[in-house]
Amino acid sequence: MTELPSIRVGPSRSPASGPQEDKLPSSEPSVSDPAEVEATHGPSVFRVENLFFYYGDHLALRDITLDIRPREITSLIGPSGCGKTTFIRCLNRLNDLIPGTRLEGRVEFDGESLYGPDVRAIELRRRIGMVFQKPNPFPKSIYENVALAPRMNRMKGNLDDVVEESLVRAALWDEVKDKLRASAFSLSGGQQQRLCIARAIAVRPEVILMDEPCSALDPVATFRIEELMEDLKNDYTIVIVTHNMQQAARVSDRTAFFTVDTSQGGRTGVMVEIGATSKIFTAPSDQRTEDYITGRFG
Amino acid sequence: MTATAERATVPGPPSGLSARARRRSELTGRDVTVSAVLAVAAFVPAAALVWLTYEMAKQAYPAIVFNGWRFFTTKTFTLGNLYGGTPIVHHGYQAAHGAQYGVLPFLFGTVVSSAIAVVVAVPLSVGGALFLADRVPARLQGALGTFLEVLAGIPSVVFGLWGVFTFGPLMSRTGFKWLAALHIPWLSGSPGAGQGLLTASLVLAVMIIPIIASTTRELFRSVPPLTKEGAVALGLTPSETARHVTIPFVRTGILAATILGLGRALGETIAVLIISGNALNIYPHSIFDPFSTMAAGIAAILDGALTDSTGMALHALGEVGLVLLLVTLLANLGGRFLTRRFSVGGLPVGRGI
Ligand SMILES: Nc1ncnc2c1ncn2[C@@H]1O[C@H](COP(=O)(O)OP(=O)(O)OP(=O)(O)O)[C@@H](O)[C@H]1O
Ligand SMILES: [Mg+2]
Repeated sequence: MTELPSIRVGPSRSPASGPQEDKLPSSEPSVSDPAEVEATHGPSVFRVENLFFYYGDHLALRDITLDIRPREITSLIGPSGCGKTTFIRCLNRLNDLIPGTRLEGRVEFDGESLYGPDVRAIELRRRIGMVFQKPNPFPKSIYENVALAPRMNRMKGNLDDVVEESLVRAALWDEVKDKLRASAFSLSGGQQQRLCIARAIAVRPEVILMDEPCSALDPVATFRIEELMEDLKNDYTIVIVTHNMQQAARVSDRTAFFTVDTSQGGRTGVMVEIGATSKIFTAPSDQRTEDYITGRFG
Repeated sequence: MTATAERATVPGPPSGLSARARRRSELTGRDVTVSAVLAVAAFVPAAALVWLTYEMAKQAYPAIVFNGWRFFTTKTFTLGNLYGGTPIVHHGYQAAHGAQYGVLPFLFGTVVSSAIAVVVAVPLSVGGALFLADRVPARLQGALGTFLEVLAGIPSVVFGLWGVFTFGPLMSRTGFKWLAALHIPWLSGSPGAGQGLLTASLVLAVMIIPIIASTTRELFRSVPPLTKEGAVALGLTPSETARHVTIPFVRTGILAATILGLGRALGETIAVLIISGNALNIYPHSIFDPFSTMAAGIAAILDGALTDSTGMALHALGEVGLVLLLVTLLANLGGRFLTRRFSVGGLPVGRGI
C-alpha cells in the first residue's frame, strides 16, 4: 500500500461545504504546458499517450491522449458506443480479461508504465478501485463484501474498523449497521451500489474509476452518490463515465468529450477535447462537443 | 363461478376478485388445456414415486414383520438351507432353516462407499469445472465438455471391469500400499488384488465426477462476468476470485449436483458388485476389505432367493430395496434442506462474519 500523501493539492475544500457550493472550479486557465499543469496540480495520476485499443480487428479507440490529475473528478462523456467504458477499463487493465484485445500506446500510472513488461496487474488493481455500471455485490454478507479484499490483501488494522469506516464513507453505514450479516443481495439497488463503492474504498486505492455508477439509480440515490464523490475527492482521484450531462457539470472538475468517428471506415472512438468542466460546458472549442452538450447530436 | 357471478352484477373490470380469480379470468380455453396437461405432467413423477414405494413396501411387508428390528442389528444376511431342514416360523411367517436377514453390512457398505465417492468427487469436479469454465479457451471448452458428457453416459459395467482389470491392481501396487504403510487404523491392512471398499469407492467417484462436473461447469458459465470482474478489479487473484466469489455464487447448484451424484453412487449396482470382492457377510474392518452394498447385494442374492420355497428370501430382498429407496429419498431431502438453508429467499447468503 502506498500511503496517501497528506498534503492536498488543488483548491482546498472543507468536506462540510454543501454540494451546491463551489461546484465548478473557478475557470481554469487553458494550460497546455505540462510543466505548468504539474506546478499547479502535482504530477498526473494517469498519463495516456497515443492510446489505440482493438477488440480483435475492430479499432475501438484511436489516438487518445489525456492526463488525469490527482484529487480531481474527471468525467468522460460522449455518445453510446464511443468507447468510454473501453477507455476506463484500460486504466485498471480490466480489458486484459477479454481475449483478443490489444492496446497500443502508452499509459502511465503514478509515473510508471501501466502496461510495462514486469508490471503486476493484480497488485496495480489494488491501487485503482472500480465501480461498475450495475451494482455487482459478491454473494456474501454485507460485511464480507467490504472485508473480503482487505483481508485477501492482508491489510493491517482491525477489519471491523475498516468495514465501518468504508461504509460510513460510502454513506451506507446507518442503513446497514444493524444487519451486517445479511446478504448483500437483500439491499436495494442504490444501497448495493453504495456497498460497491464502500468495497472499492476499503482497499484504500489511490484512484476510483466509476463507469456510469448512477445509471441504475433514482435521483435521490444519485444525489447521495454525487455527494459522496464530492467528499471522496479530498483523498482520491476519481474518473467517472456518465451519460448524464448535468451530473458531469455538477460534480466534475474536468471533462473529456469522446465521440464516434466514422471518417476512416468503421466506428472508432476518439477524444474530441478535454478541459475544465466549466469551459467544456460553456465554451467548447469543438463544434462536435457543442452539438452534443446542447442536445443537437444526431 | 364467483367470477362470472360478480362480473354479471358489477360492470367494468373485476377489481373485487382475488388475484387468483383475476388471473384465471384472463385465461383462454387453450390456456386452460395447456395448464391441465402441465399439471398432470407435474404430478406423474410424484405419483410414480408413491406407487413405487407402496409396491416395495407391499413386497417387503412379510419380511418386515418376520424380521422386526433385528433387520437393522443383524450383521449377517444368509438365505439358510434352501433344500431341507425345518422352516423357521416367526410372527406367523415362514423362512428357510437357518435364514438370517440383516441389512447392516449392506447399509454400511452403501453409506461408506458413497460417502467416500462424494468426498473424493466433489472437489475434483468443482476444480475441473472451474478450470474448464475459466481457463480453457472457448473452442477447446466445447470439446472437453462433450467429453465429460460422454463419460457420464458410459455403462457402469465398463467402469466395473476397468476397476477390476486396471484400476484396482494399479492402486493396490501404488497408492493403497503407501496408504497402508502409514498404519492408520481402518486405513491399514493388505490391499490384496485391489478389490474392495476403497477401490469400489474410487471407481464410484470416477463415475459421478462427470455428472457433478458437467452440471457445475454450466453453473460456472452462468456466473455474470460483471461479478467476477468486480473481484478482479479489487486486485483479487484468480484463485481468490474462484474461492470467494465464483464458487459461493453457485454453491446451492453445486449442492444439488452433488446430491445427483450421491444418488447415482448410492444406487450403483453392477460396478460395485464386480469390484467389491463380493463379500456378502463381511463387515469390512479395513478400507481395503471386500464388502457389499444394498444394490450390489440384491443383485448378487436374487438368484438364490428365487429358489427359496418359503418366499421369505425375496421379501427380505424387497426390504433391503425399501431401505435403499428410503436412504436415497433421505439423501435428497437432506440436500433440499441444505439447499434451502443456503439460499434464504432464493438469495445466496454468505456465512457472514
Ligand atoms: N467485449 C467486447 N468485444 C468486442 N467489442 C466490444 C466489446 N466491448 C465493447 N466493444 C465495442 O467497442 C465499442 C465501444 O464500446 P464501449 O462499451 O466502450 O462504449 P461506451 O462508450 O461505454 O458506450 P455506452 O455509453 O453505451 O456504455 C463499441 O463499438 C462496442 O461494440
Ligand atoms: Mg459504457
